Amino acid sequence: MSPVSEERAEPAAVAPPGSAERRPALSGSRPGDAALDVSVVIPVGREVGDLENLHAALTAELTRLGHTHEVLFIADGVGGEILGTLTRLAARQPEVVLIRFRQTFGESVALSAGFERARGRWLLTFAPYLQVVPSAVVQVLDALAAGNDFVSAWRHPRVDPWLNRLQSGAFNWVTRTITGVPIHDLNCGLRAMTREVAATLTFHGDLFRFLPILATKQGFKVAEVQVGHLAEMGKRGFFGFGVSIRRFLDILTLFFLVKFTRKPLRFFGLIGAALFVLGVAINAYLVVRKLGGESLADRPLLLFGTLLLVLGFQTLSIGLLGEIIIYLHARKIREYVIDEEL
Amino acid sequence: MSLADRPDPGREGAPNVSIVVPLYNEQDSVGPLWTALAAVLPRLPGPTEVILVDDGSTDATGAILKRLRAEGAPIRILKLKRNFGQTPALAAGLDRARGRIVVTLDGDLQNDPADIPRLLAEIDRGYDLVCGWRRDRHDPFLTRVLPSRIANWLIGRITGVRIHDYGCTLKAFRSEVVRHLNLYADQHRFIPAIAAGHGARVSEIPVRHHPRRFGASKYGIGRTLRVLFDLVTLRMCTRFAARPGHWFGVMSLPFLGLGVLTALATAVNATKLIRLGDLDFEYAAQTVLPSTSFLLFYLAFHLISLGFLSELFLKVSDHKMTEILDVAGV
Repeated sequence: MSPVSEERAEPAAVAPPGSAERRPALSGSRPGDAALDVSVVIPVGREVGDLENLHAALTAELTRLGHTHEVLFIADGVGGEILGTLTRLAARQPEVVLIRFRQTFGESVALSAGFERARGRWLLTFAPYLQVVPSAVVQVLDALAAGNDFVSAWRHPRVDPWLNRLQSGAFNWVTRTITGVPIHDLNCGLRAMTREVAATLTFHGDLFRFLPILATKQGFKVAEVQVGHLAEMGKRGFFGFGVSIRRFLDILTLFFLVKFTRKPLRFFGLIGAALFVLGVAINAYLVVRKLGGESLADRPLLLFGTLLLVLGFQTLSIGLLGEIIIYLHARKIREYVIDEEL
Repeated sequence: MSLADRPDPGREGAPNVSIVVPLYNEQDSVGPLWTALAAVLPRLPGPTEVILVDDGSTDATGAILKRLRAEGAPIRILKLKRNFGQTPALAAGLDRARGRIVVTLDGDLQNDPADIPRLLAEIDRGYDLVCGWRRDRHDPFLTRVLPSRIANWLIGRITGVRIHDYGCTLKAFRSEVVRHLNLYADQHRFIPAIAAGHGARVSEIPVRHHPRRFGASKYGIGRTLRVLFDLVTLRMCTRFAARPGHWFGVMSLPFLGLGVLTALATAVNATKLIRLGDLDFEYAAQTVLPSTSFLLFYLAFHLISLGFLSELFLKVSDHKMTEILDVAGV
């Protein structure tokens, strides 16, 4: 049985999340494929607020703007009262779509599942609670209308405790410095993008945070707007060290994927070559000493030199394996995005 | 892009020759380039198409292209979202070229469109890919010509496809070659080697080369190390992609040999002690030789495993080895 179910007026065929051949489902890079103006995608995971209130606020804003819209809730392995509320909403409100995962797949999968089923010309993502003022929706949609492909919301000023702000600021600063993409708030749940962006970007794990960076690297026009911050859910005061370590690993992954996906040997090769050369130098020195009559059997330096040699070559060889994988997928790679064809 | 997605060159009404020109900030060159192209088009056999790829220019290039088209120039314009670089720009144009023969040239007027008929004549002689060779280059010697000569020699040596000028964009392809070129990651400078790796017959002819008239060169030196790594990849992928297990296996041999040598040294160390009547093996075990030997064996084993792993990747991929077939009567 499929781990996903969908509750909507007309039943739709649903593929399990995580299968690789899902992306083409959203073939709507042409505006003609969109049946609605706006789709709001809300992954409902651990930190959940008053969903009925949230739905009412969003619907009110979108109706006021005169946009036809739908709200897609993705129940990411939640049950009990939350699921009850969502089911009730989906039954009562014709524009609410509920996608239910039977287990937790994480925010990236939830967002992807939402993007695939979204029928709007513009796609919004929102946190499952009133994270920012509802009128922020107007701001981000205005920025899209101004010709941007992706709009990232920046909660400013933040209403969090100072330690949280410090941690969040550090995360954003490091990411900004490494990637060179000037985004100040990667963790805000509110984002807006065109259908084309949602269909083009692929992301997994924790990479959903970096959507504005991935979009920039693909050549899309990315903007940032400051929005009024209301509240955060969950444990506050200080993000644990586990969170810091995970964010650090996320940044490393992003750095590698953005810079070296197509050229893994340039990354592994550089590191490997440096270690290898150092190992060769050390062992060459030892050979000279050996020729001078010294016994090598007692020199731990020989072990160290050989270790460097081995480690360097091992690193290099992993880069080679990476190159083989990319080469075998060459016909699926497309490195350009077309803006206009005449 | 999969093969099925590409335009079929044999289709009704398809052009005979496609000309693809990547452009990046060439506002001064675009006009003269089109004039030169327009003069040559009537001399080409059959219907032609010209695809000008605007690689995210920030100057007036895009506007000038649109004006040319509005004035009736029969050009196709492909505007990319941002500046992606030479390889993606070329790939974008090649993916859309519908001609039986595809010609690429640089947008900076250093290549002369008047050479195109000679390239086509060489294709008719039975070659799949004809490369331009800028025999008399008009570029600064120390910063451009010399590094280029070294690079050409090196690429030729490593890939075994020895042509004089890997850097010249002016080339003519049989469409079959284009359909099997999946360019990514700066591969534009290795096109002849990649095509030859697929079985294409490659030729080169000397072409004219003009000094740069407008704008600055978009190239520089100082990417040596990256090119070197790319070359290693290229050699591996063009020569060993059919049997990566061999590539990794051969790589493991020196380490295997060294491992055996150090193991022997350990044994000699131990027997020396035995002969002295001192049956204490602990000395031999305490030296670094056994661990060194172990490390070397470990690396050899690692490499052989990677070979198996890459064979596995090859098996589950849809990559085809023999790509370019000889079609009689082309």
